[in-house]
Order: sequence, then structure tokens, then C-alpha cells
Amino acid sequence: MERDVAIIGVGMTPWGRYPDPKQPAAFPDLTMPELAVEALKKAIKDAGISWRQVEAMVSGVYLWVSQQAGIHGTLSGTAIANLMGYTGIPIVSVANACATGQSILREAVLAVASGECDIAVAVAADKSAFGFFRPQSTDGRADIDYMRFVMCGETNPAYWAMECRRRMYEAGTTEEDLALVKVVTSKTAPYNPYARYRRTFTLEEVLKSPMVCDPLRLYEICATSDGAAAVVVAEYEKAKKICKKPVYINAVTVGTPTFGDPTVRLTYLSSNKRSGVPNLSESRNAVRKVYKMAGIGPDKVDVIELPDNSSWHYFAYLDCILNLDPGEPEKMLRKGETDPVSGKIPVCPSAGLGAFGEAVVAQGLAQVCELVWQLRGEAGERQVRKEIKYALAQTYGYAGNNAACILSKGW
Amino acid sequence: MAGEPSAKKEKKRVPLVEGLFTWPSNQPALIASRCKKCGAVAFPKAAYCPNPDCEKDPQNMEVIQLSRRGKLWSWTIQFYSPPPPFKMEPFKPYAIGMVDLPEGVRVLGMLTTTENIKCDMEVELTVGKLYEDGENEYITWMWKPVEK
Ligand SMILES: [Zn+2]
Repeated sequence: MERDVAIIGVGMTPWGRYPDPKQPAAFPDLTMPELAVEALKKAIKDAGISWRQVEAMVSGVYLWVSQQAGIHGTLSGTAIANLMGYTGIPIVSVANACATGQSILREAVLAVASGECDIAVAVAADKSAFGFFRPQSTDGRADIDYMRFVMCGETNPAYWAMECRRRMYEAGTTEEDLALVKVVTSKTAPYNPYARYRRTFTLEEVLKSPMVCDPLRLYEICATSDGAAAVVVAEYEKAKKICKKPVYINAVTVGTPTFGDPTVRLTYLSSNKRSGVPNLSESRNAVRKVYKMAGIGPDKVDVIELPDNSSWHYFAYLDCILNLDPGEPEKMLRKGETDPVSGKIPVCPSAGLGAFGEAVVAQGLAQVCELVWQLRGEAGERQVRKEIKYALAQTYGYAGNNAACILSKGW
Repeated sequence: MAGEPSAKKEKKRVPLVEGLFTWPSNQPALIASRCKKCGAVAFPKAAYCPNPDCEKDPQNMEVIQLSRRGKLWSWTIQFYSPPPPFKMEPFKPYAIGMVDLPEGVRVLGMLTTTENIKCDMEVELTVGKLYEDGENEYITWMWKPVEK
């Protein structure tokens, strides 16, 4: 990149439901842009700057616009600026499904790296649909996603379950392995004030939870949540003057699929298989690129935040991030090597999507918030035991979107 | 679901979304496009070849019927009813699978049964009912295990 960039401030809201009648003080009745403001003001305060000092903003596009937020969900950036107070800066709104969070971090970084400005912010808020996600149109001719949904009844967990079953068939992943993912990732959940489900789970409890999409059980798939997160970035030399612990961005990128990938992605009805092309290529492409940008390999990564939308994702994303064969992540999990705090490579010290529930477009930034706190040594009971040099986060968006970043200490 | 004798009067069986499989037919087949240059297949039909190295010329794409038999790559059972616009009446847990066809394409679809399903088993295309109203039965394509 032309100029080096660092993170100078992060902020997020607790994940849950806004409003939550049971906890009206913690979860008031906020619209999507209002929720974004809550995260944005925290990130700006964390950076020790004012809104006037922000020179560019990139906003995640709220995915369920037709159900709740309308045009202000699509043009979310200017809707948020309207609440913050217009300052005339460049603002862009970006939709990249669940990969949106780190996709907008990339845009903010590029704005600074290019020299367009010195301080930029990425912000995303989401009030995800209740229960199973669904198509957003009613047109069987124009929308393949609609066709897929009404003709095949494929929910997101159904897709994950099919991938999971094949993995069990080929790599010998067991039902107990799937349940163990929840047991291990939930270990830090009681210690994360931003998590929605702040409790641990026992193996027995997970294995007894109802089957949703065979072989995936209720406690092995993530819920859908509301939440917002924001990240402020600055040109590195300036960042060092603004704050004591700037977090250096070694790499951030977006991955899309390779033609010939056999994966039948969510929202689609078929795939073209070409020999030699791996599955989940959008994820592999993003990861390969961030390693190249950072000049490191998987052996250098000290902590990982990955998209554990289901227990299958946990294993599949360890394959992608650490370049492992299916079956190897299962062994690492069983040996405790991926323990979120004490592992050889701690995975999801935040407690992951299992404890948060997915607030689609904000999720990638929530991962970045966690890694910033981990690098600064501010994660409290969740703080990983080992010294962190490189931290990696990856988010997986449906329909062929992925994003990843590598962060390190900039002080 | 598939194979059930229709109650009382014969209703007209109509695909819920038209143009995805040949109908009416005793041997329904999925309708796809294939690139004459590189053989890439798109289902549902597409105007352009998905191969990044192929010219985006609709003339290169021919309409084909996909093989009716394939190998079940993987499957699941959906235990809870998805939200609208999905509609199955009466709802009962159903299986969904991904099927590898000889044309080099992997295709999604419901299965006719939730019993004795195995990865890599041979399946054949048929149709099954999602729901009905006063006049019609609304159908989709379904994969049926081939009896050995
Ligand atoms: Zn072609």
C-alpha cells in the first residue's frame, strides 16, 4: 500500500435485540442508523478524536432493508451522517453480505493508504431478521434466490448441514466433535460484555439440543442478532501521535470465488465443477491474499477470529486459514490446541458467533474490535495467554463474499 | 409429497416456478444452458457462459435438458418450516440434497424421502407437491433414490 495504516479506535454495542422489552435500559428501541451512531461515538471516543476530524466514512448496508429500514438501510452512510451531523466528507455505503464488516474496513484503509485522507471510519449496524434468513424479492423470474428458496426450501443452516454431512462422510468428523465446538467456543462467553449469550455449554446439553438441519443441532448453529460496530483508521505516523497503542493493519482484503469451485453457494441453485478447483474458494482466495500482503504464512498466526456460524464453519475455516486437510482441525480441537484463551492457536476469544448471534453486516467489524482489544492487552478474562504478534480475522458472506485481515502491534 | 395419490378429483399439477424443468412430462428433466465453446453449464438457464475466459455472447449458449440421474453429494433434513415465501402444506420435515450430474454440474433439490439416504447414492429426477389450492397442485423437482 502507498501509505501504512493503523487502527486508532474501536467501538461496538452489545449484541441482542433492539428493543429488548426484558432489558429496556441496555437494549433501547433504536433504528438501524441510531444503532450505528452508538458504535460510532464509542469508536471516536476510543480514538480520542472528534466527529469533525473524521475525513471519510464507509458504511455497511443493512441487509434486511425491505423488511425494516427501507431506503435509509440501503443508503445507510448518509442516514448515519444525518444523525451525526453532516460534515461534507466522502461517504460510501457497501453491501457484501456477512463479509461487509471487513469489506468496509478495506475501503476505509484504501481511502487513507491512497492519500485521499488521514482519518477514516468504517461503521456497520444490523438488525437481522428473526429466525431463518429468506429471499428479499417475490419474483421467481428475476431472482434465483427466490427460486431456490421456494423450490428447494434451502435455509442457511440446511446448506451448512449439507457441507457438514459431507465432511463427516469424508473426514470422519463426529457428532461429538460438532458439539465440542460449542463447548470450547462458549468458554469465554461469560466474560464478554458484548456477547448476547453469556454462558457456557456442556457437551451433553449441546448433544441434547433439538436437531435443526441434520446433522446440525440448535446449539451448533448461530442465532441472528442486532448489533453495531465501528473502527477508526489513521495514517500510521499520524496514528502514533494520536494514540499510544495503534494497531497496525498488515493486510485487509476481500475474496470472491474461482470459476469451477464445486460449492453450490447459498442463494444459488447449481455450481460448475472443474478439476483442481477447491471448495470455499472465496475464502481461500481472501486468506491467500492477506498472507501475501502481510508477508507471512499460517504458521505465524497467533490468534484467530473466524465465522463460526455453525460447528461446520469452525472446522472448514480452520482448513482455509491454517491450510489444513479436513480432519486436522477436529484433532486440534480435541487436543485443546484451539482453546480460546490457552490454546496453541486460540480461536474466537470473543466467544464467536455462537455467543453473539450474527448481526450480518456488523459481524466482521466486531471481530476486528476483539482482535484490537487482544493486541492491546485489554481483553480481561478473555485475554489469550500467549504473546500475540499476528492476529487474523475472517468473515464469510453468503453468495460468494469473503473478507479477511491481519493485524499486529503498531507500537 | 411425491408419490402420494391425489385426493378426490384430479387437480392440475403446475410447477410453482415455470421453466425450470420440462413439464408436463413422464420423465421430467431440468432445463439448463450449456456453452458450446467450453461446456460450462448454467442452471437455471443463463444468457452468458460463466467461464471467465469465454466471450459473453448469448449465441454461445444452447438450451439443454440435464441428465435425470446423478449421484447424491450430500443431504440434510430440514426439521423446521422455513419462513415465507417458502410454502409447504401440510409441513413435515423434508430432505434436501446436492446432486452431481454427468454434465459436470452440481444441482440442489428436495428429496422425495427422509429415510435411508446416503452420500453417493444414485438418485433420479421426479416431481413432488409443495401445496395445493382449489384448482392446482403446485409442484417442484425432487430427487428420488434409485431402487437397487
Ligand atoms: Zn464457455
